Amino acid sequence: MLGFLARRLGAAALVAFGVATITFFLIHLAPGSPLAGSGENPYVSAEALEQMRRNFALDRPLHIQYFRYLTNLARGDWGMSFTMHRPVLDALRDAVPNTLLLATAALILDFLLGTAIGTLQGMRAGSRFDRACSAVTLTLYSVPTFWFGLVLVLVFGQELGWLPVSGVVDPALYPSRSVLGKLTDRAAHLILPALTLGLIGAAATARYQRAAMLEVVRQDFIRTARAKGLAETAVALHALRNAILPTITLLGLALPMLLSGAVLVETVFAWPGMGRLAVEAIQRRDYPVVTGAAILAALAVVAGNLVADVLTRLADPRTRDPT
Amino acid sequence: MRQAALFCAAATAVLSACREAPRCPSDWCGTAVLVSSEPGVLLPPVTETDADFWITEMLFSKLAELGPGLNTVGDAGFVPELAESWTWENPTTLRFTLNPQARWHDGRPVTAQDVAFTFEVYRDSLVNASARPVLEQIASVTAADARTAVFRFRRSYPEAFFDAAYQMWILPQHILDTVPRGRFSSHPFGRSPTGSGPFRFKAWVTGQHIELAGDSSYFLGRPGLRRVLWRFIPDMAAGVTQLVAGEADGAQALVTPELLERLRGAPQLNLTPFVLSAYAYIGFNLRAPGRRDSPHPLFSDRDLRRAVAMSVDRDAVVRAVLGELGDVPSGPFAPWLWIARESPPPLPFDTAAANAALDSLGWRRGAGDLRVRNGRRLEFDLLVPTSSGLRRRAAVIVQEHLKRVGISMQITEMDFNAMIDRAAAGRFDAAFLSWVSDPSPRSIRQTWSTAGFAGSNYARYDNPTFDRLTDQAVGAQDRARAAALWHQAMSVINADAPAIWIYAPRPVLAAHRRFLDADIRPDLWTALLWKWRVNPDALIERDLVVVP
Repeated sequence: MLGFLARRLGAAALVAFGVATITFFLIHLAPGSPLAGSGENPYVSAEALEQMRRNFALDRPLHIQYFRYLTNLARGDWGMSFTMHRPVLDALRDAVPNTLLLATAALILDFLLGTAIGTLQGMRAGSRFDRACSAVTLTLYSVPTFWFGLVLVLVFGQELGWLPVSGVVDPALYPSRSVLGKLTDRAAHLILPALTLGLIGAAATARYQRAAMLEVVRQDFIRTARAKGLAETAVALHALRNAILPTITLLGLALPMLLSGAVLVETVFAWPGMGRLAVEAIQRRDYPVVTGAAILAALAVVAGNLVADVLTRLADPRTRDPT
Repeated sequence: MRQAALFCAAATAVLSACREAPRCPSDWCGTAVLVSSEPGVLLPPVTETDADFWITEMLFSKLAELGPGLNTVGDAGFVPELAESWTWENPTTLRFTLNPQARWHDGRPVTAQDVAFTFEVYRDSLVNASARPVLEQIASVTAADARTAVFRFRRSYPEAFFDAAYQMWILPQHILDTVPRGRFSSHPFGRSPTGSGPFRFKAWVTGQHIELAGDSSYFLGRPGLRRVLWRFIPDMAAGVTQLVAGEADGAQALVTPELLERLRGAPQLNLTPFVLSAYAYIGFNLRAPGRRDSPHPLFSDRDLRRAVAMSVDRDAVVRAVLGELGDVPSGPFAPWLWIARESPPPLPFDTAAANAALDSLGWRRGAGDLRVRNGRRLEFDLLVPTSSGLRRRAAVIVQEHLKRVGISMQITEMDFNAMIDRAAAGRFDAAFLSWVSDPSPRSIRQTWSTAGFAGSNYARYDNPTFDRLTDQAVGAQDRARAAALWHQAMSVINADAPAIWIYAPRPVLAAHRRFLDADIRPDLWTALLWKWRVNPDALIERDLVVVP
């Protein structure tokens, strides 16, 4: 297992290097400049723009900028944001915990609910329950995430007024609340974005899980289990153990997607996470932040796959080393 | 059963009547939650975005502020701020006397040395202050004593006072004099500033909010609000949701008619439209795309540009895109600028005249009713930024208007940065651009004079008469004379039609009804925010939170 982990970590370093290189050149070669926004600003003169270009080292040849970036990166210096005037690492450090919180909550909801529904559907294939769940999950799966988020905002935030519609906490009241009040405030702010991501994710997971269960329940060992008179719950658990493998692989893929791809949800709910940071950086051509966010997202993909592989090994004895 | 129901109703009514509205636990309450995008930095010389300016204005002070008339010529109408008074020793020497009560938020007095230091910083090329070029007529700033700052100008000019008083927020020398100038913008001070304005900086939670606390010892009087929170929103639709849901109290919102309807559905909000310092225009490239040394095959022809301009019903565009929240500009400036009054109108919407002009230029209707001359169709490409919903919608309407007179306009939507890149490189036929004016009409030269070739004169508009008139207007000592010269210059540029001035948006100040004295100044809407206060009979829960 240790050798396996060492190999994967080595691969992660190579992936990070590759992503840093590709992103660096892609973002620099994309049309538009970090200083374009100043072009419509009467307070910024042509002379000031030229000075900014020098300050950001944008006047240097691209390969010089690249080697300088790599050298700094190797020293742990991810660069300075052009627009936020602060180290990129600090900006990422602020955004990552929020994204992790949202992604964790959404993943838990996604996989617990999705696996449960999919398993029950698989066990009762063709029943009224199965057909109803299929209709609901298919509908949810087809709904655009941002639209679903807006509907939740409209219903639970605006019309019913039950839940807050944006941010991580209520900044006006949070400092004056008790510890329990603070926890409640955070939880209340988490509900709608996590529901948006989690329910749509659960719909997809349920469909995968149902398909996997259908494969498994047709196999001989399930028939044998039933013939032996095992309770249906025990049969379901047997089947689930075998049908969970594709879902675990899906988990590995979902983790990086949630880390970097919850952009629309973060926009709708003004959630200060990685996705929003990256998109705003792309819009403003904040090269160091874009590259930094891409490296982090790539590492998340590697980590997600690693987690999936480890979980698969734990769940499926056939994938373990014979030693 | 019925009796029980009646009893419950009566009990509810009595309890409601007995429940008192929240009262302020001290003599000073009030929290405003405002929404904006996240600022980049709160360090005055290097502030750049709208949010930077809005929040910096609350933390720092200038020597004097614009008055309600927004006059920038001479010193008439200016309101004392850090300077309690000023005198002109001679036409090129201005002496400011500082308010002895003025203090930095760390308790140190604001001195004339701070003023001299501020000028040094703003003029330092390493700091690269955006206002540096407009301060070049100030030769020096010295401290005659702790309370007297002396400005010496290279020459006498009408907006000398405006430049001295308005362009610089005064900085604390005792904190910043050891900061290397080359690292000014990234210094931690920019994210945790100490100013001398009506609000003190409390906290900046990245991606979420900035908290400011009213400074009870502010030298011009205690601010009406005890606390102001700026919540960061990714886009205006999300901001409107926060306002409607009651999570935010106020914003300057540049809204579409649809968002305006949503705001109107929130009974707790007061909506006040005001005039913004921006206008949007379709600029024609007068030079060949990508080749600055050759004329544009279409738009180098003045008569053709005039015909195109007369083909667009700008009133209809503004009504369709902005509804009641927009104006048709009469020239390349915001309608609140003092030169806007009695400014000559641009070319009228007149399709008969446009058709006649196009016919006389040899552009005849051909296949598909499009005009053709010597086998060439009358068609061009318009760049539109994807980031601006307003411009994208307006472009489609303009396209339809031009089609009616036989002109084909293709719309190319592209990323904002990429569009500006292409405009700056001259690789376009026409571009849908916008411009934000500062309170002085001088900035018009940056976009439309030959001096702006290095800056934002993407159209490469070049008329020596316009340059001469604007130079004279900037140098005119008398405001009436300056206005007359500006109006002559506007007649010249409107007749040349290097662009079509499409709309000037009027944003809405959305503010909770519990705020009293919620006035705004159009050039910087947060300038008067320190005078806002909360109706003591309408306090809500967040108003009662007392910051230490």
